Amino acid sequence: MIQVSSPFTHNNNSVRKVMLNVQLAALPALFTHIYFFGFGITIQWTLALITLLVVETIMLKLRNRPIWPYLTDFSGLITVTGLVFCIPPEAPWWVIVSGITFAIIFGKHLYGGLGYNPFNPAMLGFAFLLISFPYEMTQWTLPTQVSGYYLSFIDSFYLIFSGQIHSVPLDQITGATPLDEVKTALSTGVTVPTSLMSDSFNAFRIPYGWAAVNIAFFIGGTWMLISRSIRWQYPVGFLLTMIILSAAFNWFDPETYAPVRFHLLTGGLMLAAFFIITDPVSSSTTPMGRFIYASGIAVLVYIIRNWGAFPEGIAFAVLIMNMFVPIIDQYTQPRVVGYRK
Amino acid sequence: MIQTLSALKVSLIKWFARFYPMAKRNLYHFHGGIFPQYHKELSLSHPLKRGIIPKILVLPLRQHLGIRTEAKVKVGDRVLKNQCIADTKKGLSAPIHAPTSGKVIAIEPRYKPHPSGLKKLSIVIETDGLDECIDNVLDVKGNIPNDPLALKEIVHRAGIVGMGGAGFPTFAKLPEKPGIVKNLLINGAECEPFITCDDMLMQTHADEIIKGAQIVGQALGIERILFGIEDNKQKAIQAVTKACENTHIEIRPVMTVYPMGGQTQLIQELLGMEVPSEHHAIDVGVLMMNVATLRAIYHAVIHGSPLISRFVTISGLGLEEPFNAEALLGTSFLELAEMAAPKQPINYPLIQGGPMMGMALHENNVPIIKTTNCVLANPPEPVEPVMPCIRCGECMDACPINLLPQQLYWHSRNHEFDRVEKLKVFDCIECGCCSFVCPSHIPLVQYYRHAKSAIKEIKHKEAIAKLAQKRHEFKLERLAREKAERDAKIKAKKAAVKQKTAQSASTKGSASAAAAAKAAAMKQKKQAASESGTETVLSARDNAIALAKKRAQAAKDSSKKTPQIPHKPTQVTRQKTIEADRQMDKNTKPSEAGTEVPKDKSSTTDDASKRRAAAIAAARQKAKKSAQKQEDLHEA
Ligand code: SF4
Ligand code: SF4
Repeated sequence: MIQVSSPFTHNNNSVRKVMLNVQLAALPALFTHIYFFGFGITIQWTLALITLLVVETIMLKLRNRPIWPYLTDFSGLITVTGLVFCIPPEAPWWVIVSGITFAIIFGKHLYGGLGYNPFNPAMLGFAFLLISFPYEMTQWTLPTQVSGYYLSFIDSFYLIFSGQIHSVPLDQITGATPLDEVKTALSTGVTVPTSLMSDSFNAFRIPYGWAAVNIAFFIGGTWMLISRSIRWQYPVGFLLTMIILSAAFNWFDPETYAPVRFHLLTGGLMLAAFFIITDPVSSSTTPMGRFIYASGIAVLVYIIRNWGAFPEGIAFAVLIMNMFVPIIDQYTQPRVVGYRK
Repeated sequence: MIQTLSALKVSLIKWFARFYPMAKRNLYHFHGGIFPQYHKELSLSHPLKRGIIPKILVLPLRQHLGIRTEAKVKVGDRVLKNQCIADTKKGLSAPIHAPTSGKVIAIEPRYKPHPSGLKKLSIVIETDGLDECIDNVLDVKGNIPNDPLALKEIVHRAGIVGMGGAGFPTFAKLPEKPGIVKNLLINGAECEPFITCDDMLMQTHADEIIKGAQIVGQALGIERILFGIEDNKQKAIQAVTKACENTHIEIRPVMTVYPMGGQTQLIQELLGMEVPSEHHAIDVGVLMMNVATLRAIYHAVIHGSPLISRFVTISGLGLEEPFNAEALLGTSFLELAEMAAPKQPINYPLIQGGPMMGMALHENNVPIIKTTNCVLANPPEPVEPVMPCIRCGECMDACPINLLPQQLYWHSRNHEFDRVEKLKVFDCIECGCCSFVCPSHIPLVQYYRHAKSAIKEIKHKEAIAKLAQKRHEFKLERLAREKAERDAKIKAKKAAVKQKTAQSASTKGSASAAAAAKAAAMKQKKQAASESGTETVLSARDNAIALAKKRAQAAKDSSKKTPQIPHKPTQVTRQKTIEADRQMDKNTKPSEAGTEVPKDKSSTTDDASKRRAAAIAAARQKAKKSAQKQEDLHEA
């Protein structure tokens, strides 16, 4: 096919390249994750990929779309990355399979596929899992430094597919996440500084494993910023709001409100900042709108973390802000050149 | 101090740009912009070609924006170089001159570089190679005109048009009074990839360009002349700097970024101001001229030579030896491209202009016209499949006008043209930056072009429908009015008869006459209303007519027959009449002003129609303006 109308040249970017870049940026976090939490995540990742391929192919077939170009745009990989890091590494196999299936079908294809989904598919899948399998979703593998055990690939494999393992006691290798731990402790009257002294935290009072994974995400995210795979408004708006909020509350009452470093380096915060809220399809498109969108998510995350029923609020925060996108877009139209300031 | 700081900032950004190329967007003063591969060295590495006289020259009768010229020669005539061969007095246009001597062998429709791809009436000249010439055909004295009108006149006769793109006749761009233009901007940016004809021109004829600028400056009384050149043309900058010694023309090297050469962008960069939407640069005291246009002005004013040739870049990835040429107007694209040693047979469409804003030709054997700056031979490449929009916003970040191309696209695609218009599609200069960066390879500009023409068409249809409706309404109104008048006459007569009989019986005659008249008017009003549904409008007028007649009648009657009329009733009658008269005035006024829509029919529809009319007018203006803008960008 010949281009019929100008421009006749292109910067050679493509959806595929953007998506692959995002995958590349997730690698540091993947390796860190393996280092601290074992090989579980690789199995989950593989499971997720297979599910993705199968479900996408079926859905494209059902929707009468060409399969090859849409499978190879790699947009599904973003959903996989977003979800795989959010579920416990040793969660049973059907957790990730059902999560991905739900995300791809209800989060993407039922709305018309790539580019048309109003909700972030990964977070839709995650919310579905959190509500459907609350127990499985909170049993996190503890970092080796905390549990003292290191799960081999085979161990993880068994654990994921059979749900049991003989070499190590199950209750010793899994437990609550630091976020959960601090929150539960608070409800029993233990102050935050005291909880931060527990075994889950290292000398800097930041959680083992989690902090490193978050930092790895930050590094990958910086690469994405430089390669223009994501826009700066998302991480900057998100992190800035998070820092301001947590600093303000921590200053106001350090006993009840965790310090900034805790909020930034636990849970999926950096993952959210760089890999989840940056999904352009379901977010606001104007520059100002993106900033507002990202800040809004940060506010909601902070609220849910401190006062909500769930330990981690990213999924719900994102989904709620997704709903505000049309309104944000409408009120943040930039000034067109030649119109009054 | 401030200077060193800003220099520091610039070098910091440049350093940072090594890791993050888009940091360069902070080095200039308009939004967005892109950094394509320029390939300018292709044509610059070969010498300029001159004196090519092809066998056949094809000169379309319209090479500019405006109306077509009429041939002044016949088939078989011998023409000399510089001779005027086509002109018209009918409206905005630019005359056409013979580029060399030869014989007119045909005046017939031929292909020309035009998006429609249709044949247009052209003069075909068979050259004789003698290049016999009429010197000073414009009959100038060789001195610089001191008032704008004199300059305009010469520029018009020389057939000079904006030599970038759409080709707006230059004389029409010049103001009629001196002092209107505060800043003359010389556009030497040439931001399109591949094209180097302006660069070459600046390198070889800097003095002529500068003299051209001085001519314009003097004739229009311009205080400040700025020369913007992209900083990737160092040789041109040197040549121009040398030519500018001892003049007050300021050379301003500007950042190399597409579309720096766009009028809006260069004004923003050089003067730090924006041309308000719906306005032209001239409204803010800015006149921008392309270097080639200025050179043509110089030749016209000093030597009396019309525009018969121009610098053209023949380049492209499909050519072994690309070059620049000073080509005669009417030379074939294909012939020029063949001269550049094509790597493969040129069986693909050539492009007129650059890769960003150019136009693929339907037919390669078309002539160079006044606005052709480049013949581009890029062999077709496989095109990436178009993917859905992922809302990444690259397009938005690249748009120099700060539009929201993605939203424009969604609504254009869904044919929601009112939304598209609200998103200011008519401010889009079709620069192509958005399509260039779109990772989904969506031909965005194509959508905007389509939306623009669709909106124009809708407006046009609306205007026609509106006119028809107006005519219809007017006709109905007239019919009703005539009928009402007739009725009124009859009623008045009847009333008069009645009154006569009543008067003989009682002294309160005139009062009852008034009452009768009123009743008659009321009745008639109702009648008129029931007869032609919409015509309640006329009631006031009818009323008035009836009352006026009645009053006259009554006055006559009373003065004649009843000298002792009670005061009150007469007064009431008179007041009524005055009131009615007033009302009638109100009624008739709008129709005098040209709006036949009766005021009291329904104020809401009236308002709506006014708004619509205003909207149509605005849209027209916008459309006009966007055409102008486009041509300004082409100037680059
Ligand atoms: S660049 Fe293309 S994919 Fe990205 S928002 Fe614009 S139109 Fe959509
Ligand atoms: S073509 Fe129009 S919308 Fe696209 S970048 Fe240029 S001005 Fe903006």
